[in-house]
Amino acid sequence: MQLSLSHKTVAANRALILGMISCLLIISVLLSLVTGAYTISIADTMGIFYHKLGFPVEYLAEEKVAVLWSIRLPRVLLAVLVGGSLAIAGASLQGLFRNPLVEPAIIGVSSGSALFAIIVIVFSSSIGWQLQSVFGEFALPLAAFSGGLLNTFLAYRLASKAGKTDISILILAGVAINALSAALIGLVIYFGDDSAIRNFIFWNLGSLGGASWPKLYIVGAMVIISTLVMLSFPRSLNALAIGEAEAFHMGIHVQKVKYAILFFSALAVGAGVSVTGVIGFVGLVVPHLVRMIFGSDHQILLPASFLIGAILMLLSDIIARVIVAPTELSIGIITAMIGAPFFMYILMNFKLKRVLG
Amino acid sequence: MIRAKGIHFCFKERPILDKVNLEIVPCEILVVLGPNGAGKSTLLKLLNGEQKCLHGSVRINDNPVDQLKPDQLARFRAVMPQHSTVNFPYSVEEIIALGTLSHDRESRSEKLMEEVMELTQTKVLRDRMMEELSGGERQRIHLARVLVQIWEERPYARYLFLDEPTSSMDIAQQHQVLQIIGQLKQRNIGVFTILHDLNLANQYADKVLLMKGGSIKYFGNAKETMTGEKLSEVFGHPISVLPHPMEEQQVIISAETSTKHQSYASFKTA
Repeated sequence: MQLSLSHKTVAANRALILGMISCLLIISVLLSLVTGAYTISIADTMGIFYHKLGFPVEYLAEEKVAVLWSIRLPRVLLAVLVGGSLAIAGASLQGLFRNPLVEPAIIGVSSGSALFAIIVIVFSSSIGWQLQSVFGEFALPLAAFSGGLLNTFLAYRLASKAGKTDISILILAGVAINALSAALIGLVIYFGDDSAIRNFIFWNLGSLGGASWPKLYIVGAMVIISTLVMLSFPRSLNALAIGEAEAFHMGIHVQKVKYAILFFSALAVGAGVSVTGVIGFVGLVVPHLVRMIFGSDHQILLPASFLIGAILMLLSDIIARVIVAPTELSIGIITAMIGAPFFMYILMNFKLKRVLG
Repeated sequence: MIRAKGIHFCFKERPILDKVNLEIVPCEILVVLGPNGAGKSTLLKLLNGEQKCLHGSVRINDNPVDQLKPDQLARFRAVMPQHSTVNFPYSVEEIIALGTLSHDRESRSEKLMEEVMELTQTKVLRDRMMEELSGGERQRIHLARVLVQIWEERPYARYLFLDEPTSSMDIAQQHQVLQIIGQLKQRNIGVFTILHDLNLANQYADKVLLMKGGSIKYFGNAKETMTGEKLSEVFGHPISVLPHPMEEQQVIISAETSTKHQSYASFKTA
């Protein structure tokens, strides 16, 4: 694809590029805020923001304020956080496993998170209650994080030997882990009530409909911390692209980087999944797109992935809300319909270049 | 100086390296030769701190190697493994720049990179993508990368470990690389390299280490160590060392003749 910019152009204009993508993100946010069954214009949106910031404004309809502030804004921010964290976790994991086919949903991070979150919800009167008495509102995202971390380590253990990760085993391990997690999710839901069964779709295909301010604070804190940590390893991930031994030779504390990335990618994904369910392919498609346009340098790849992941999630959410209005689609359907063909395209490219392995 | 004392390494309870003592001195090229499975790569890994030995000790510039952090180690030595694959589309310059990861300041790194790219003749390739290059070119890029890491003049000796750095190269490129490595001697750098080509070793080595079955068979300066007798013993194959017809050099060839009954006795006299 001839979209790509030379590494020099990218390195010299990194701030400019990230600034431009940020502008696109802001546009997407505004677009998402004004889209929906209830009409709110951009002027209204601005008015409400001014109002909330304490500036005097003319009359605003109560309903508009309520819809925008309590429903749409948390949803939009959740989309930004979850899309961004899935994409940056995907980019970091791809760098760590040295393979562009790795994605949180494919290797089982997301399904592990969903499984543990469901366990907490369905058994809320026993396990869930105990966890909640210790961790409060953090119980659910923390459980999701543990499940994600467990599956990440499992996949890593199964596929790695002496610092080398066998990608075909990793993908197959992901298949097995995802199948097991999905079966366990089904089993756990069986113990729940009828509404829980409907939730099964939610957990497997994801939705941003559950957004609320209290959830957002918790998820936001966890996502922002883990994103900042992942953003701090661009040079180490560049070195890892040549190999773990080579990165060590160049002075990288490989073990430290590896565990930090496994830990914080699971934290970011787990926190998101505990609110939105499993949303696939964002972590796969976005880093790929960024690499195609801006190259592989993680100094641009990581922040750009976060921003473009957020944009992709916002746009998918708009489609999910508009396409079957007044109801909405699961967002995972949209991301999979964009992502799966893209995945096939990547595989085809790999076959041509024979770099898979 | 890198000093190894009684280093020992087992894999699955089978000794790969058995009580090896060795010193690597700056401003010298030490070439390691030996048949496959002699423990050459394991020795390289133990000496550069990549693997820990079960017994014995390795000290780099008087620091125990297992107590140095990766970034401290990276200032003392650079390592070029046998095969490095880059799985993502990186440009040549980005790969070479990775050699500066352990440096303190970025401004000086630019100058170092220019110097090293000049020396390794990789300047023309700087904007190409790694995946477009031939095997030999890639090896030269990785050589440039490891050179950048230790190129800067420092108050202490540095070391370069190479595991068959010329394996994908044609004969001209091989000699170019060994000549580049030869220039490191002026920069207070000691070189430890595994080679397969005996003639290349004979021409460029200051010291030669002959290994077999996990231990050092012979170690000493190149001319004394690389004799037909010693090489034949280590490789388990008849080898002759002959005077070069034109130059003041030697030529090393297999002494196995096509007819099988003519064997060991005939080359010994050569």
